[in-house]
Amino acid sequence: MEFHWSAEDSEFREELLRFMAEHLPDDWEEISKGGPGSDDQATFSREFCALLADRGWLTQSWPKEFGGKDASPWRHAILGEEMWAAGEPRGPQYMNVNWIGPTIMEYGSEEQKALHLPLISRGDVLWCQGFSEPEAGSDLVALRTLAIRDGDFYVVNGSKIWTSYVNHAQYCFLLVRTDPESKRHRGISILLVPMDLPGIEVREIPSVVGDRYFHEVFFSDVRVPVGCRLGPEHEGWNVVAYSLQYERVGAARYARAARMLDALAQYADECGLLDDPTTLEKLGEARAACEASRVLTYRVIDLRAHGSPPTADTNVARVAGTLAERAVADLAMEIYGRDGLEYGSFADSHFRLAMTAGVAVGTTEVNLNLVAGRFLGLPRDS
Amino acid sequence: MNFELDDDQIAILDAVGGLLDRHAGAARAIELAAKAEYDHALEAALCDAGFLGVALADETGSLEAALITESVARAGGVVAVAAAALIAPGLTGKNLPGPIAVARVDPSRPNRSAPIRFAGHARTLLVLDGEHARIVTLETGDAEPTASNYGYPMARLSRAAMERGDDLPVGSGARLARWWRLAIAVEAVGAMGAALDTTVEFVKNRRQFGRAIGSFQAVQHRLAECAVLVEGSRWLAYEAAYADSEQAGVGKDGVCEERAATAAAHATAAAGRVFAETHQLTGAMGFTREHDLHVWSMRLQALRVELDGVSGQRRAVALARWGRSH
Ligand SMILES: Cc1cc2nc3c(=O)[nH]c(=O)nc-3n(C[C@H](O)[C@H](O)[C@H](O)COP(=O)(O)OP(=O)(O)OC[C@H]3O[C@@H](n4cnc5c(N)ncnc54)[C@H](O)[C@@H]3O)c2cc1C
Repeated sequence: MEFHWSAEDSEFREELLRFMAEHLPDDWEEISKGGPGSDDQATFSREFCALLADRGWLTQSWPKEFGGKDASPWRHAILGEEMWAAGEPRGPQYMNVNWIGPTIMEYGSEEQKALHLPLISRGDVLWCQGFSEPEAGSDLVALRTLAIRDGDFYVVNGSKIWTSYVNHAQYCFLLVRTDPESKRHRGISILLVPMDLPGIEVREIPSVVGDRYFHEVFFSDVRVPVGCRLGPEHEGWNVVAYSLQYERVGAARYARAARMLDALAQYADECGLLDDPTTLEKLGEARAACEASRVLTYRVIDLRAHGSPPTADTNVARVAGTLAERAVADLAMEIYGRDGLEYGSFADSHFRLAMTAGVAVGTTEVNLNLVAGRFLGLPRDS
Repeated sequence: MNFELDDDQIAILDAVGGLLDRHAGAARAIELAAKAEYDHALEAALCDAGFLGVALADETGSLEAALITESVARAGGVVAVAAAALIAPGLTGKNLPGPIAVARVDPSRPNRSAPIRFAGHARTLLVLDGEHARIVTLETGDAEPTASNYGYPMARLSRAAMERGDDLPVGSGARLARWWRLAIAVEAVGAMGAALDTTVEFVKNRRQFGRAIGSFQAVQHRLAECAVLVEGSRWLAYEAAYADSEQAGVGKDGVCEERAATAAAHATAAAGRVFAETHQLTGAMGFTREHDLHVWSMRLQALRVELDGVSGQRRAVALARWGRSH
């Protein structure tokens, strides 16, 4: 065991921080409050990701044959950590690099690879994830959106919900049922759908999390070329499982929480609260939660760096991440008090971004089920 | 970064595991607890095999000392291994004659201390007194044994004994506190791991309503949440133990202080949760001396209240990170 960064990794982080200091706009703090999917952030992401791409950093963790540099998972983790800590200037494009690209590399046709991977590597394309449906949340395999084969096309009908980033997206990583008779894991396929096809309608679902946060997407007789199918017909579930392992620890949300906590401690200090034992205690508690989330995420990255197949350590890390985000957000509200109630204030912005942590990307309960079964070996029933 | 044990660490853990299989374990802990005795034989075996000296040896350091301490805690060893293997070497750069107890001067107690783990059997006492640490050689009559159900032999010490000996330089107090916190974290991780394993085994086998109680989701989630806390504590403790090593490049006291306090804050809070859930889920059986759980669970309470307890550990995190002196 060695818990230190190599000289090259430390250098990379330094260089990255200098780069960010130079290229993030002066009002970045304000922009970042809207979250990766806000209009400003999505727009800025094209400019910023292109710069990252110029330096070869955006997809450095990808294999050389796909334009990457075969950089270690640790290098990718450093990039993710610094990006999230700053409020994710890659906007929604973090998803492209983390899991959409790698899934296309694994399962895509030559045409798909030739089309999508360069777009992602250039940092100039926005995607959304069409998984959840009104009747298929945690139980994703209950999905019903149908794609019926008609010659060289699939005709898609149905709807997706909670779809982040869809208002800016050019492509949707869409889960559909291609076999209408099928149930559960069978009969599912994945379509890489251009969002400008006729018959796709996006509606915002107003929420207390923020503006343009949630959307519902309706598909009415949308004709998607068969060439857009990713992986085998009806056997798409394996592809989903593959993508989910990359997705679950994709976002270094603890890094954002830790950064917010430092800012909160500074504010507490300005208010003279660092002499108050109760405040100190709560700050320390939240800091420990962030650090626990960090080391548990590192554990998952380390397993990946050693070539291990995915384990339930990922779910352990996810649960810890949610605890950390909540601890910081709750404390921010407590320390700012009523000032935190104003929309867009420091405490409010952080609180709203953190409040969904236990639900987005698989709920805490679903993660706990997996920890109980796979990590602790507890029986299902009997 | 590398979270895998290297070959040397695996070899050390195998060797200490073999020794603990022969000399320690829940049954032995229960037998010794009945007589409030210290496991001198185990301490001698650990010492002879060189396990108490790894922190200062050439090829090993505080991380290996932490791994050994965790193993001994898992095996319920009734020895002051953390003080011998981690705290004394960390504070003084030397190994000191054991058994070693660790105590803090409490100005509100002019005559005698609160119960202190191992104080009745210790030869050496490490005292934390404000900015200073002291090393005291204990004499007969210094300690007054205290009956306790909390898993360790305990005694109160006279104030005079705690004030004997020369002060180490200013700053030694903080140094002792740092190593003490790390030791608390590592011991708690070992005890929590064993308590959780025992409980998982219990709920897999215990059947009610025609099924294993471990198949009820209400039971599963509580143990899964404990696992999240224990795993987090474990990696924080290893990282904190490593922070002191040269390679870490963070050998600055400030960083080490924060890491040790963080590990202790997380582990002692987790200990409270693990205590409550493991006892809840093992029903009445878990309270008996016949079942092994108490060997570890009761110790968790003792670890939780050391050095101002969970709240003290948390304040130490905040002061190390954001306090004005840094
Ligand atoms: C901020 C945010 C962004 C999102 N972005 C996207 C996106 O871009 N694309 C997309 O496809 N989806 C997205 N989602 C949807 C997300 O994946 C789902 O919300 C999530 O999977 C849970 O589904 P649900 O909301 O239907 O809740 P449900 O599944 O209805 O769950 C409600 C509650 O029941 C509990 N529950 C359900 N099943 C079990 C069980 N077996 N055992 C115990 N408890 C259970 C859940 O844990 C939860 O507490 C997003 C969600 C959020 C909050």
